[in-house]
Amino acid sequence: MNLFASFMLTSMFMLLLPIIMSNTQLYKNNLYPHYVKTTISYAFAISMIPAMMFVSSGQETIVSNWHWLSIQTLKLSLSFKLDYFSIIFIPVALFVTWSIMEFSMWYMHTDPYINRFFKYLLMFLITMMILVTANNLFQLFIGWEGVGVMSFLLIGWWYGRADANTAALQAILYNRIGDVGFITAMAWFLANMNAWDFQQIFITQHKNLNIPLLGLLLAATGKSAQFGLHPWLPSAMEGPTPVSALLHSSTMVVAGVFLLIRFHPLMEQNKTMQTLTLCLGAITTLFTAICALTQNDIKKIVAFSTSSQLGLMIVTIGINQPYLAFLHICTHAFFKAMLFMCSGSIIHSLNDEQDIRKMGGLYKPMPFTTSSLIIGSLALTGMPFLTGFYSKDLIIETANTSYTNAWALSVTLIATSLTAAYSTRIMFFALLGQPRFNSLSPINENNPHLINSIKRLLVGSIFAGYLISHNIPPTTIPQMTMPHYLKLTALAMTITGFILALELNLAAKNLKFKYPSNLFKFSNLLGYFPTVMHRLPSTMSLTMSQKSASMLLDMIWLESVLPKSISHFQMKMSTIVSNQKGLVKLYFLSFMITLTLSLLLLSFHE
Amino acid sequence: MSMVYVNMFLAFIMSLMGLLVYRSHLMSSLLCLEGMMLSLFIMMTVTILNNHFTLASMTPIILLVFAACEAALGLSLLVMVSNTYGTDYVQNLNLLQC
Repeated sequence: MNLFASFMLTSMFMLLLPIIMSNTQLYKNNLYPHYVKTTISYAFAISMIPAMMFVSSGQETIVSNWHWLSIQTLKLSLSFKLDYFSIIFIPVALFVTWSIMEFSMWYMHTDPYINRFFKYLLMFLITMMILVTANNLFQLFIGWEGVGVMSFLLIGWWYGRADANTAALQAILYNRIGDVGFITAMAWFLANMNAWDFQQIFITQHKNLNIPLLGLLLAATGKSAQFGLHPWLPSAMEGPTPVSALLHSSTMVVAGVFLLIRFHPLMEQNKTMQTLTLCLGAITTLFTAICALTQNDIKKIVAFSTSSQLGLMIVTIGINQPYLAFLHICTHAFFKAMLFMCSGSIIHSLNDEQDIRKMGGLYKPMPFTTSSLIIGSLALTGMPFLTGFYSKDLIIETANTSYTNAWALSVTLIATSLTAAYSTRIMFFALLGQPRFNSLSPINENNPHLINSIKRLLVGSIFAGYLISHNIPPTTIPQMTMPHYLKLTALAMTITGFILALELNLAAKNLKFKYPSNLFKFSNLLGYFPTVMHRLPSTMSLTMSQKSASMLLDMIWLESVLPKSISHFQMKMSTIVSNQKGLVKLYFLSFMITLTLSLLLLSFHE
Repeated sequence: MSMVYVNMFLAFIMSLMGLLVYRSHLMSSLLCLEGMMLSLFIMMTVTILNNHFTLASMTPIILLVFAACEAALGLSLLVMVSNTYGTDYVQNLNLLQC
C-alpha cells in the first residue's frame, strides 16, 4: 500500500489553496504572485513522485471519492483516473505552468491587477487538471467548459480594447459549436450504454459507434481549432503573452486531442472515423501552415504554428497511434511555450512592437532570447535528437510506413517543410540583419525571472524528448524497419524548407511587390475564411428572418394587401371616374321633383 | 287605409322632403335619413304586430342594424369633409378634387 493516490491528490489539492486564500490578506499584498509560483513548483515536485512510481512499476489508479448523485440508473461520482496519460501529462503541464508563472511575474509586472491575473491562470490550471484526470464524461465536461470560460476571461484581459473582446467572444462561440458535438456524444452514451464512465463505455459492445465518435470529433475540432472552427486561435493572440503561452499552445488546445486520445479503444475499430480524422488533421495542418507563411505579427505566426502542430496530432490519431499523439502533446508543450515566451521577451524589449517587419538585428542585443528562439524553432521543426524529433519524426515515419490515404500523407509532408519555412521567416526577420526598430528601445534581458523561466524550458526543449521517450512504459510498437529514403523523408523535407525559405528571404530582402499576387492575398487573409464565414451567414440569416417575419407577415399581409390597397385603389378610381361638379343641393332637388312628378302622373293613370 | 298607416306614411314623406331639400348643412340631411329609418321601423313593427306575422318579427331588428351601419358611414363621410374644410357646408363640395 503506497502513497500513489495520496501524492497525486495532494499535488492537485495544493493548487486549490491560493484560490481559497483569495479572500484573505494574502491576496491583497504584492507577494501573491510569488506565492502562486512557489505553490505550483511544489505541486510539480510532488506530482513527479507518482510519475516515477508509474515509470518504475506501471501502477495506475482510479480514485472514486464522493458519490454525487444517482439519476435513476446513472450513478455520478467524483472519480479521478490516474493512468498513463494523466500521470505523464500532469508533471509536464505543471512544469510548463511554473515557468510561465515566473515569466508573467516579469511580463505583467506593471499591471495593477496582477493578482487577479495569477488567480485566473491558476483557475485555468485547476480546470485543466480536472479535465485530464476525469474518469467520467461529466467531470470531463466540467473541466472542458471551465477551460473555455477561463480562456474567455484571459483573452479579454485588456477589455478596454474592442478587438480583445471580439476575440474572446469568438473563442467562446467556436468552442460552443464544438460543445454541441460533445453533448451529442454524452447523450448517445447515456441513451445506448447507460453510462458516462470510461470503463463501462469501453467494455460495452456496440455495433455502430459513428454518431458519438462524430460528436467527439466535432468537439475536438472546436476546442483544438481544426479546419472549419479554427479562426479563434489566431484571434486569441489578443490576450497577454503568458496567456498565449499557457492556454493556446500547450494546454487548452490540446484538450480536444486529449479527448480523442482518451477514446482510442473506440476509435481503433472504426475505420471511417480514422479516415475522417486523418483528412481533417491533414487539411488543418496544411492550411494553417500556408496561412503562417505571410503573417506579419510574430504571435500570429506562432499561433498558426500551434494550429499546424495540432493538425499533426490529429493526423497521428487518424493513423491509429494515440500514444504517439500524446507524446507529441507533451514535447510540443515545452518548445511552444518557450517560443511564446521568447516572443514576449522580444515584444516587451521593443516597447510592445509585434510586427516582424519592424524588428531585426536582435542577435547582438538579446543573445539569450536569440539562442532560445533558435533552439525552440529547431526543436519545432524536428531537428535530430532535440525534443521535437522524438515525437515528430516518429509520427512521420509511422505515417510513411502505414497503409494510409496518400493525399493526407503528402499534405502532411508538405506542411512539414512549410513549418521549417515559417520558422526561418521568424528567425530571419526578428533576429538577423540590421535593426529596423526605434533606437530608444528598452532592450534588456537581465531580469532573473525571465532568464530562469526561459532557461528551464530551454533545458526541457533539449532533453525532455529523450527523457520522456526513454522512460515511458512500452505501448504500441513503433515501426523498426523501413527503407532508408522513408526514414530520411522528414529530415529531407525540413532541410528543403529551411534552404528554400532562406534563399527566398535573402534574395527578396529589399524588394517589394507592386500589387500583391493572388496567392499572397490568399495566405495573408487566412484563406478568406474569416472574411467570408463571419459576414456571409450572419447577414443572410438576419436578412432572411427580417424579410420573412417583418416584411412578409406584418407589412405585406396585414397592412398592404387589403387595407392600403383598397384605399389606394378607391382614391385613384374616384379621381379618374368622377366628372361631377358637386352641386349636391340641385341634385337632391331634382330627385324630389322627379318623385313628385311621377306620383302625380301615375296616380291619375287608370 | 287606417289612420295609423297614413300618419306614418306622412312622417316618412316629411323626412324625405327634408332629406332632398336642405340649405347648407350636410348634417340636416343625415338627420332626415335617420327620421326616414325611424318611421319605416315603426310602420313595419305596427304592421307585423297587427297582422300577427310572427315569423317576420326579426325584420325590424335587422332594419335597425342596417340603419346603424349606414348612419356610421354617413357620419364618417361628414367627419372627412369637416376635417378638410372645418365646417360641413354643402357649398364646399364643389371642387373636383378629393
